[in-house]
Amino acid sequence: MRIVATKKDLAAALASAGRIASAKATMPVLSMVRLTAAETGVELAATDMELSVRLPVEASVEESGSVLLPRVASDIVRSLADGPVTIEHRAGEGVATLSGGNSSFTLNCLQAADYPELPDVSSAESEVPAEEFLATAERVGKAASRDEMRPVLTGVLLRLAGTEAVMVATDSYRLAVDRAAVPDQGESVTEAIVPARALAELARLADGQGALRVALADNQASFALGDTRLTSRLIDGQFPDYNQLIPDEFDHDLVLDRAELLGVLGRIGILAQRGTPVRLAFETGTLTVSATQSELGEGSESIPVAFEGEAFEVGFNVEFLRAGVESLDGEEVRLGLISPLRPGLLRGEGDDYRYLLMPIRLNT
Amino acid sequence: MSERPSILHADLDAFYASVEQLLRPELRGRPIAVGGGVVLAASYEAKRFGVSSGMAGGRARELCPDLTFVKGRFSDYQRLGDEVMDILGAYTPAMQRISIDEAFLDVGGSRRLFGEPDAIARAIRARVRDEVGLPISIGAATTQHLAKIASQVAKPDGLVVVPPGGEREFLDPLPVGLVWGVGPATASRLAADGITTIGQLARSSRADLAPLVGGQVGSKLHALANNDDPRQVRSAGRGRSVGAQSALGRVIPTDQVLGEVLGHLADRVAARLRAARRAGRTVTVRVRFRGLRSVTRSLTLDEPVASTLTLREVAEQLARAALADHPDEREVTLLAISVSNLDDQPEVQLELPVARDDPHRQSSPTGAARLALDRSVDSVRERFGRTSVGYATPALSKRALVPDEFRELAEREVRPGQSAGRGEERDG
Repeated sequence: MRIVATKKDLAAALASAGRIASAKATMPVLSMVRLTAAETGVELAATDMELSVRLPVEASVEESGSVLLPRVASDIVRSLADGPVTIEHRAGEGVATLSGGNSSFTLNCLQAADYPELPDVSSAESEVPAEEFLATAERVGKAASRDEMRPVLTGVLLRLAGTEAVMVATDSYRLAVDRAAVPDQGESVTEAIVPARALAELARLADGQGALRVALADNQASFALGDTRLTSRLIDGQFPDYNQLIPDEFDHDLVLDRAELLGVLGRIGILAQRGTPVRLAFETGTLTVSATQSELGEGSESIPVAFEGEAFEVGFNVEFLRAGVESLDGEEVRLGLISPLRPGLLRGEGDDYRYLLMPIRLNT
Repeated sequence: MSERPSILHADLDAFYASVEQLLRPELRGRPIAVGGGVVLAASYEAKRFGVSSGMAGGRARELCPDLTFVKGRFSDYQRLGDEVMDILGAYTPAMQRISIDEAFLDVGGSRRLFGEPDAIARAIRARVRDEVGLPISIGAATTQHLAKIASQVAKPDGLVVVPPGGEREFLDPLPVGLVWGVGPATASRLAADGITTIGQLARSSRADLAPLVGGQVGSKLHALANNDDPRQVRSAGRGRSVGAQSALGRVIPTDQVLGEVLGHLADRVAARLRAARRAGRTVTVRVRFRGLRSVTRSLTLDEPVASTLTLREVAEQLARAALADHPDEREVTLLAISVSNLDDQPEVQLELPVARDDPHRQSSPTGAARLALDRSVDSVRERFGRTSVGYATPALSKRALVPDEFRELAEREVRPGQSAGRGEERDG
């Protein structure tokens, strides 16, 4: 096998594939990237058995064949001088050579025949507008948990029905819901829990491309952008009923200036690190944001707000609160509150995005 | 070990009785006892007749017909004890309060500010007398053990400084009963072998002591008699554990008994944690059987505990494990709970009800509800008294013999057992 590609194309493709290849795999082949050269073109593939990716590389094939390259090939190619890069491997040999400019590397490699078969999802594909779908996935996916002990919460619930895709994620402290337009699904309703990581990788692979083809099967999902295809194992389990978690009514529905609120949270939040809450104290006409860090000191800042009723104080994790405000579009933020122990709801202007956030219980 | 006698042991004299006499002048100079059925504390005037704490009321009256019994005023004891501790704490940050009415201080670092240890001891005694109105005795020495003995020798209302180099001369003639850990039973066993003074104890060999009191206890007493006490005064006012224990006589540990007693202890420990705005991750339970054999079991949780119900559940689980490991022990004589690995009560990030609801985690919906309930109970008790509301099992139990308030004042912290989470010991 022998291929020649530009450093730029090859480096980008190796980086994308290298992110999927497992860094701490128990099986050595899973830490490798498969390069396949055929008359039809060159393809890179990687999998960690949960996520798999196949992506095309612009290259000229001088001799077809395939090989498993170590992930370090990505770092090497990235550091080469601009220009053509050649990868060569003789069938059955334990090394591949990689050269560009005046540099030459001989890398230990494994045989492509030892690589696991990548999953193939045969379900019907729906074509959705990539940009809106991926923006929604990214916005929602940030609320997913990273705690592998609660697998369901590391996923994004994807529900395709009617003319919309509903996406929901929660790490149990906050919950984000949003919708993206999709072509009419007719009578069919499809639900799946997609690992948040798969959607994040998908967003990185996408490059402003037009249509995303989505296929959901029993235990696998496939997302295709042109010839680039990401498949992901689906997460088994029951996703929390998000409709039940979001209160129907809030005692207070306050409108705040998004930029002003972010400014206050940025300043006061400096003293609300390591689990200490930022406190939001409401009284008629005023919101006072404050934080106290016993070793450092305290800070507070007041902004006007159309608050009426009995004064109360609620505490939030400042990172969660700021992430919520940042995830909203528009100049205004609507904050719905009930009590210091009930969730608060952030909404923007004119869209269906919702960010629900549980408070930190204050000790006083 | 410090070369100068910089360790002070300050101990209020006949504390509860002294407080009663302070607050009720008509009782001054008269033999009084706090308590009723049982003498909880006796004034020096009563002690002269042989009245001592723990004695049955009837027996005390026989010894001292003029004895006046008074009911305890526990909130006053706490308040005045705290006032005294504030005075002590003004002389050094290295203060370790070991009960309501006594504390160790290391004043080695306070010389430039306040003078030599004996001058500091005199200043403390004068201030406690003038500002609080109570007599306090102080012992000053190079070790905690020696300072404590010195304060006992100083009583009532005195000061004894043991000069460096004079330790042996001071200790040798004193009775063994003053050594930490020597109770009446141990003292009589030692006396049977002709050991009545600390000097004799110090000169005896460990091998001789082992058959009398057991090897471990023997080594400990021998070391103390030789003034070998490496303990440091643990500075900072905040304890490393909060505990409570209940002596039970001899009972068969049925589920009912465990539920009542541990429920009761958990309530006291958790309430104290909450009052101090603390929570701890390690729960230790001690079960004592007949013959002073005791076992401890401890468990370190993922999240700190300050909830009464959670602490009770964990404690019951540990107690059952300890009992299951000792199927031959049919009766228990004492149960104790302590919570260590303490930290400030975190401000808990609450959770949406999306995952398995683990009541032992403060952030889970049920865990948060438990703590909210406890806080409501705490505030009701603050207004209406501690018996105004409580959990049913311990509250309806008839087991409490001594007023809770008194127990709380007298409570010592119990320490977690061996680091492995299990420990067996024989009380000395």
